[in-house]
Amino acid sequence: MGLLLKKNTVKILVVEDEKMLCETIISYLEGEGYICEQAGTIGIGTEKINLYEYDCMLVDIGLPDGNGLSLVRELKKCHPDTGIIIISAKNSLDDKIMGLDLGADDYLTKPFHLSELNSRIKSLLRRRKFEGQKELIVGQIRILPENRQVFIENELLPITKKEFDLLLYFISNPGRVLTKESIAEHLWGDFADASDSFDFVYSHIKNLRRKLLEKTGTEYFRNVYGTGYLFE
Amino acid sequence: MKLQNKINSRFLIVTLLVFTVAGVIFYFSLGHLIDHNIKGILKSRRTNIIQYLQHNKTDSILHGSPDRTIFIHQIAKIQDRSRITDTLAFDVRKKELVPFRKMVFTTTVDNNCFEVTILQSLIESEDLQAIIFYFMSILFFLILLALFFVNRWLSDKAWKPFFNSLSLLKSWKISDKKQISFDQTDISEFDQLNRMLEEMIQKMQTDFINLKEFTENASHEIQTPLAIIKSKLELLLNDNELSVLQHKRLRDAFESTTRLSKLNDALLLLSKIENKQFVEKVDVDFCKLISSRLEYLEELFALKQIELSVQLDIRVIISINPMLADILINNLLSNALKHNFNHGKLIISSEINKITFANTGNPLSIDPSKLFKRFVKNNTSEESTGLGLAITTEICKANHLRLNYNFSNDLHIFTLVS
Repeated sequence: MGLLLKKNTVKILVVEDEKMLCETIISYLEGEGYICEQAGTIGIGTEKINLYEYDCMLVDIGLPDGNGLSLVRELKKCHPDTGIIIISAKNSLDDKIMGLDLGADDYLTKPFHLSELNSRIKSLLRRRKFEGQKELIVGQIRILPENRQVFIENELLPITKKEFDLLLYFISNPGRVLTKESIAEHLWGDFADASDSFDFVYSHIKNLRRKLLEKTGTEYFRNVYGTGYLFE
Repeated sequence: MKLQNKINSRFLIVTLLVFTVAGVIFYFSLGHLIDHNIKGILKSRRTNIIQYLQHNKTDSILHGSPDRTIFIHQIAKIQDRSRITDTLAFDVRKKELVPFRKMVFTTTVDNNCFEVTILQSLIESEDLQAIIFYFMSILFFLILLALFFVNRWLSDKAWKPFFNSLSLLKSWKISDKKQISFDQTDISEFDQLNRMLEEMIQKMQTDFINLKEFTENASHEIQTPLAIIKSKLELLLNDNELSVLQHKRLRDAFESTTRLSKLNDALLLLSKIENKQFVEKVDVDFCKLISSRLEYLEELFALKQIELSVQLDIRVIISINPMLADILINNLLSNALKHNFNHGKLIISSEINKITFANTGNPLSIDPSKLFKRFVKNNTSEESTGLGLAITTEICKANHLRLNYNFSNDLHIFTLVS
């Protein structure tokens, strides 16, 4: 892919006690080209962060030997540059605020879409590794995430805020089927089921597709059996 | 009614009643006593007069006594009984008619029959009765006043520990982690009460923490397997070798899992609200909140081409947990959006302590009174959990707000009243 992230160097530590979930996350992330390691307890996690350096850590709050937040605290001490995403089953505002206060970059509530997790990791790495000044190039499309601008052959593409979010989400998950649910949730969060949001997803994608087709002559989106969409 | 006022008023009423009854009895006893006394005086005067008549010449007294209280007439025939009646007579000193008691009797002296009339002035005894009565009334009143204040002072003093405990309880919240402790009092009943309260509070706090832990653990336990199912399905959906049919089956499973996790979220939220786990309240400007939410939703409204008319000049500020305020407004706006027509309308307006959401939409197919119940859906829409308005109602209940619904002029109108 044309992403300027050097994927082969990105190392991610997944601290999650639920084996099956951990495996799924790792399998998805490895599909993205990351190198992943797993830790099932705070003990192992602490050991690993003291031995190696990671670009990003995913950490569950409820771990068998304690609260994952202590690992966040530990990591902030030894490697403050590592990005941290908290994954928690507790949709508790206190935990969220506390986690972010401790220096975590993001907070995801279970169950989440793997594509959402992937897009958050990418955005985090972009911010962390390149101090926000980075452009993403996919085919003829050039994106400046920080300025929220899209260029096609040096020409600025007029694009709405939501269309931009949508494009970035797809570009973060190339070659993956993004379900309508995950797209709706990514765009509208809690409002995802507020309305006939799938119609809106459809209409946003239709607009974006049309704009890109007009400028580039390439069809980037593919509908996958009514489940979702694929960006190629 | 306040305890003090109740005790005092009852006490006052009973005392007044006793004093009134006692006063009436006293007044009549006094009257009776005076009557009896006057009768005694009249009788002794009669005896004196009869003796006098028997020993003295009758001629000299036929004119009556100088003080005009005894009159003696000679009559032809003797009558049996003496009569005592009340009459008015002219009092020489007072120069007016005053009440007298009159005794008329007949007696025989030396074969002559005499009728004797004795008058006994009642004025002194009536005056006496009145004076005694007034004096007693004043005394009663003073006693009453004294009793009232003494009683108030005493009950103030006696109930003080109770009111101390009450104010402690008022300021206590179940979410406070600190243990409440009551002061030692010199009244054993209150000490007992305080000890019982301390025990109860401790039990409640433990229960509350257990419940909170249980709901959160339940959420954790259910969400984790759900997360696994969802992520496995997501991985599978990316498998290029799936047939269309397999893909469709997977998609159905994926959609149902998503719904299940949303239901779980919503039910947990409901139980958390019911368990009053959202206690921290701040003053939330609902107009500002609605405006910011609308900005966020602008696009969704535009896509459905809903005509928005917003009139939020009158500020409505409600003390509420900010997260709940968010959910409340989200749900109401979602509702207005979801059940609206394309090219429909949404009118939001605020009045003093009141916000109205009016939207176009198909008339309800269900009884409006069931609208706020759980799992009631107007049309069996797959995306809806049927819990949105139930959550809204619970939030309102927990924050002493009212949410009313009515349908008029083809508009569904939800009114939030604080």
